[in-house]
Amino acid sequence: MADFSSMKRRYRLIVPDDLYRRLDHHLFPGDHDEHGAVIVAGIAESKSEVRLLARELFLAADGIDYVPGKRGYRMLKAGFIADRIAMCGTERLVYLAIHNHGGCDSVQFSSDDLRSHQRGYPALLDIARGMPVGALVFAENAVAGSIWLSGDRQIELSEIVVVGRSRRRLTAAPTRQVSLSSPVYDRQARLFGDLGQAILGRAKVGIIGLGGAGSLIAEYLGRLGVGSFVLVDPDRAELSNLPRLTGASRWDALGWLASEKSPKWLQQIAFRLAKPKVLMARRNILRANPSAKVETIIGDFLEADIAARFTDCDYLFLAADTARARLLFNAIVHQYLIPGVQVGAKVQVDRKTGEVTDVFSVVRPVTPESGCLLCNGLINAAKLQEESISEQERRGQRYVDDPDVIAPSVITLNAVAVSHATDDFLFYMTGLRDPNAPTSFMRFHPRGRQVWSDEPRKSPSCPECGQGPRSRLARGDARRLPVIERTKVKTAEATESGIRLPA
Amino acid sequence: MTPEVQEAIKEISEAYPDCHLESVDDGQGGAVVTVQNIPLEGALYLQTQTWVGFHITHTYPYADVYPHFVRHDLSRRDGKALGEGTSIGTFQKTPAVQISRRTNKLDPTSHTALLKLCKVLRWLTSRP
Repeated sequence: MADFSSMKRRYRLIVPDDLYRRLDHHLFPGDHDEHGAVIVAGIAESKSEVRLLARELFLAADGIDYVPGKRGYRMLKAGFIADRIAMCGTERLVYLAIHNHGGCDSVQFSSDDLRSHQRGYPALLDIARGMPVGALVFAENAVAGSIWLSGDRQIELSEIVVVGRSRRRLTAAPTRQVSLSSPVYDRQARLFGDLGQAILGRAKVGIIGLGGAGSLIAEYLGRLGVGSFVLVDPDRAELSNLPRLTGASRWDALGWLASEKSPKWLQQIAFRLAKPKVLMARRNILRANPSAKVETIIGDFLEADIAARFTDCDYLFLAADTARARLLFNAIVHQYLIPGVQVGAKVQVDRKTGEVTDVFSVVRPVTPESGCLLCNGLINAAKLQEESISEQERRGQRYVDDPDVIAPSVITLNAVAVSHATDDFLFYMTGLRDPNAPTSFMRFHPRGRQVWSDEPRKSPSCPECGQGPRSRLARGDARRLPVIERTKVKTAEATESGIRLPA
Repeated sequence: MTPEVQEAIKEISEAYPDCHLESVDDGQGGAVVTVQNIPLEGALYLQTQTWVGFHITHTYPYADVYPHFVRHDLSRRDGKALGEGTSIGTFQKTPAVQISRRTNKLDPTSHTALLKLCKVLRWLTSRP
C-alpha cells in the first residue's frame, strides 16, 4: 500500500480539460447558487510531490444529491457520498468532495465547511481503507483544497492543474506576478509574457528518442528556455545520421574510424565509442540554456525503471517510431494525465521498383481527453508481437524486412513535424492556445504541398483512454505500465517428441 | 511474467485440462507456451493430436499472439499440401509447421490468447 505519511510533499490535483469544463459548467451555471460534486482520483507519488489524478466526476443533482444542510447551507446526501467512498476504498482512489462559493480569483473554506470536515472526514477515512480523502471549494478562477490523511492529518492542496486541450492553473489566491530580469528571453517573452517564460522555466519535458526528430525538439525547447529535461535513447552517433542531428560533427561519430575505408574492427570501435545521442542533445540544450537540468538516459525507454522517470513530466514528446514505444507513451499519457505528442516523418518506397510512393511528416497530439493512439489504430498488434521477440525468432518466422533496405530520412521532413509539435507545446503551456482549438492529427505532404487534418476517434470502451472500470485512465502508480520486466531466462530443449520447456 | 500473461496461461490451461501445458518465462515478462496432445477434431489429418506452441509476449493483450506452431509431420489424409497460411519452420529449435494467422483489428479487451488458439485450431481442422 502507498505511504502518504510525508507531510513535506506538496499535493496537486491534475484534471483533464473536459472533466474540468463539465465541473465548471455545473458549479457556475449563472444562478450564483451553491452546487456540489465528487471527483475520484488516482495517485502518483514522487519525492517532492503527490499528484492526485482526476479520473471520474460525479455531479450531485440539486435537491436530490445536494440538499439543504442540517448545520450549513447545503450538503451532499449520505447516500451519494457512500457509493463514491466505497468505490474509492475498493479501487484505491482518492475521494474529493466539491462545492462552490461566490466570488472570483480567491476562495477559502468557510467555518461551517471546516466544522463539517472535522465531523465527517475521520469516518470517511475509515471507509476509504487508508486512501486519502479531501474537499475542494471553488470560486470562479480559484480553488482551495484540504486533503485528509490517516491519523487525521491534513494537508492543503497547493494547486489544480487543468491539462489537455488547454492548460490552466488554479490556486486559492492569485499568485505573485513574475518579473523577468534576464534580457535573453526578452523577444519571445513579448509574445507569452514573463509569466509564460517562467512557466517554461519550471516545465519538465520528456523526450523519447533523440534521433532526427528528437534532436530538433531538444534544440528548440532548449532555446525556448524549458528548465528541465528527461532524455532517453540507446543509440550513438553514426556517420549516416550526422546530417539530421543538430550540432553534430564527424568527431561525434568518430568519423576517421567509422569511415567505410577503415577496417571493420575499427568501424566497430567507432560504433561502440561514438557519442551517445542523448549527450549530444544535452550539449545543445546547455549551450542554449546553461541553467537547464538535463537527465540523460542511454537506454531503452521500455525498461520499467527508465519509463518511471517520465511519469512526473509536464509534457512528453515521442520521437521514436516503434509500436512498443507508442504503446508505452500512450499508456503514460493516460495513466498519469501527461499530455504528449508523437512526431515523425516517413518516406514510403516501393520495395520492388524503388520508387518513392509517399512522403509525409506527422504530428499527433495525444492528450488525456482526446482519442488515443490505440483507439485510432496507430499501435499495430502484429508489430508489437514482432518487436517483442528476438531477431533470431523474427528471421525464423520471416517477419524481417530486408536489412539492406534502409528507410530514407531527411532533416527538413523532421523539422516540419517538430516545429508544429513544439509550437503546440509552447502555446499550450503558456496558456495562449485557443481553448477550443482542435486536437487533430496533422499530416504534411510536401510533394503535393498538402496538409491533412484527421480528427482522432475516441472509443468509450478503450482500455487506455476510456472511462470503463478497467481502463488505465488516471490510475497513476496503482497500475502497471506496459514495460519490459527483466528476468533470467531458462532455455528450452528440443527433443524428438517436441519441445521440453523447463518447469 | 506479467499478470496478463499469467492470466492467459491460466485460461488456456483451464480450457484444455487434459492437455499438458508448459510455459517458460521469456525474460521480458512474456512466456513461450507449449500445449501438448491437443486433439485434432475431424478426419482431415492422419494425426489425431498435436502439440501447439506460441509466444505470448510482454505486450499482451495489446499484441497479437502469432504465429502458432504444430507438429512438423502434420499431413492430410487426402495427400494434399497443407497450403496457404502454413510453412515449414522451427519452434524453440524443434522442426514445426508454422501457422501464420494475424488478427488485423485486435481488441485487447476481448481477443485473448485462448480465443486465438481456438480460432487457429478451428481454422486448421476446417481447411477445404
